[in-house]
Amino acid sequence: MSTLGSARKRDNKAAYLFLLPWFAGLVLITAGPVTASLVLGFTDYNLIQPPEFNGLENITRMLGDQRLHHALGVTFKYVLISVPLQLAAALGLAMLLDRGMRGLAFYRSAFYLPSLLGSSVAIAVLWRQIFGAEGLFNQLLNLFGITGRGWISDPDTALSTLIVLNVWTFGAPMVIFLAGLRQIPVMYYEAAQVDGASRWLQFRRITVPLLSPIIFFNLVLQIIHAFQSFTQAFVVSGGTGGPSDSTMFYTLYLYQRGFHNFDMGYASALAWLLLIIIAAFTAINFWAAKKWVFYDD
Amino acid sequence: MHNGLSRRSLLSLGAGAAAASALAACGGGGGDAGGEISKDAVKLRFTWWGSDARHKRTQQAIDMFTKKYPNITVSGEFKEWNGYWDSLATTVAANDAPDIIQMDELYLASYAERGALLDLGTATKHLKVDGIDPAALDTGKVDGKQYAVPTGVAAYSIVANTTLLEQYKIPVPDDSTWTWDDLKRIGLEVSKASGGKVTGVQSWGFDAGGVNIWARQAGATLYDASGKVSIPPAVLAGYWQYLLDLAKQGIAPAPSVTVERAGASLDQSGTATNTSAFGTWWNTQLTSLSAASGQQLKLLKLPTNGQAAAAESPYYKPSMFWSVSSRSKHPAEAALFVDFLLNTTEAGEVLLTDRGVPSNSTVRSAITGKLADTDKAAAEYLAALKVGAAPRVTPNGASGIEAILKRHTEEVLFERQTPQAAAESFIKELQTEIDAA
Repeated sequence: MSTLGSARKRDNKAAYLFLLPWFAGLVLITAGPVTASLVLGFTDYNLIQPPEFNGLENITRMLGDQRLHHALGVTFKYVLISVPLQLAAALGLAMLLDRGMRGLAFYRSAFYLPSLLGSSVAIAVLWRQIFGAEGLFNQLLNLFGITGRGWISDPDTALSTLIVLNVWTFGAPMVIFLAGLRQIPVMYYEAAQVDGASRWLQFRRITVPLLSPIIFFNLVLQIIHAFQSFTQAFVVSGGTGGPSDSTMFYTLYLYQRGFHNFDMGYASALAWLLLIIIAAFTAINFWAAKKWVFYDD
Repeated sequence: MHNGLSRRSLLSLGAGAAAASALAACGGGGGDAGGEISKDAVKLRFTWWGSDARHKRTQQAIDMFTKKYPNITVSGEFKEWNGYWDSLATTVAANDAPDIIQMDELYLASYAERGALLDLGTATKHLKVDGIDPAALDTGKVDGKQYAVPTGVAAYSIVANTTLLEQYKIPVPDDSTWTWDDLKRIGLEVSKASGGKVTGVQSWGFDAGGVNIWARQAGATLYDASGKVSIPPAVLAGYWQYLLDLAKQGIAPAPSVTVERAGASLDQSGTATNTSAFGTWWNTQLTSLSAASGQQLKLLKLPTNGQAAAAESPYYKPSMFWSVSSRSKHPAEAALFVDFLLNTTEAGEVLLTDRGVPSNSTVRSAITGKLADTDKAAAEYLAALKVGAAPRVTPNGASGIEAILKRHTEEVLFERQTPQAAAESFIKELQTEIDAA
């Protein structure tokens, strides 16, 4: 008995040891700044001089900050449009690939690739080239006799190009969907076919319910991810959130307040507001999940 | 800078290590700007923005300096304008600022008033400023302290592509008499003659220089002496109405093209790519532009509105400054390096007029004979210009003026706001930023 206990202790020690690098990283790189930003959220801090406590001023300021409200609007629009589109694309492709085509491994990798690259600077730069006034996309349109415009430099279309970029990175949820689809026993479909159920009915009555935990997981993850989008808007708009604030994501506004306007106290408060917003969305998701997510066990 | 700063707020909140180390870091860089030059190995970091041509020249000057002082190494960090300020703010905040910083008039007060820059008055042992015109030197002062030394002066101008004008058989306008209406008319001729391949004018509305001049031509100023925004809304609305007219009448490119170019580097501008016949630039950018364009470019005085105030509306802008970080570990060596760039003929002969016509008069006269045609033209333009008093230094808090300006220009060009509404909104927002700083 005692040998077993000491072995377990030893195992625990080893586990903690292995966890140490991650834990040190969490404390030093994440927890420290997170705590600092909470404190800074209640100060006036211009980056160079020490912060000065200013109570709830940053919070009252948010209420009257019209550009903040605008940035929230842009971000909500981005999240609410791009996430459903992205998940639909991911699920559609996953089902297609699940039908056991030849070269599956290749297609899976090919479709997965964009999600590895999607939030990189290089892709954002590429996006600028593709959707610029003389970019590839317009050259393509030209072939069909359509005169395009500067998609990224026109405030009516700039956000759409970023939504397209996000949808394009459907690879990560797709791979998860693919794994989920594999879990669904084939016998359900066989039974349904025997009963004469159409493909659509099979999808609605078998695939969706059995896949719902996976859909839910992807939904939560992608919403959080989309709220935090920064690189794409930053690079594509040259750090301005323009033209005329049409791509002013919340994170970008936060960054501008902090680093362009030397307004780090307010920016820190904004960071915590974003945390609260994301937490609220996640909570709503979990609450709503009770109504539509089906757990088999 | 640590004098009189209160540590109470954060420490009393028990904010812990992060804040405390930031405060400790404020306690000076550890070096003495008036001390002896070290005999040991010293590493300096030097940052600037600019075009390819500038990077090459600057690197050449660095090499000459390090050859002269073999124990000092200088590593250059250069960026284009848009990325430069993000990166500078970040490095200063992270207590990792480069030792020598190329500074602009827009940001000087913001950095100086917050204590990020060394008072160069403490570094006169190694950095001499007596060769510099006192009026120019004053532009680098904030609250009476010399936080920056101007590298040279520049003036706002129109760069005209005479190769294109000749090709379309349009005479070069007489810039001693022309008006904004003339620019519109001639610009339209170019747009028509080229069949849309070249536009007459490259739209502006993204830099503070253009607004300054427009205000001064109307007898107003952008900021008053106390640092309040003082441009009348009607004057500013006229400015945007003009830009809107250019875009709508096809004299300037479509708004989305204009916006795209405004975000790109100098080398991708309409002037540099020979796709616009007229563009507004600082006169000293002529050399970089000519190198990129490969065609004949000529400096013209800005058109006027015909009012009396327009006669003295041009001004000498300190084209940029040299500053030293207040947290530099080697302020004496940094000052020595700035002195080398500023006051030695050998550096002047390499840098020429890229950072403005040199502010040091000895260097200026020494290099005149060596100037290339474009540099010579820039110097002659400056000498012939009739200027008024320089505008007030951009107030602390207003360093973001160009971002605010750009956004409102976009609002106007895409017709989301009328020029009048944009003018009122711009003034209000800029004033709020100044008040908050």
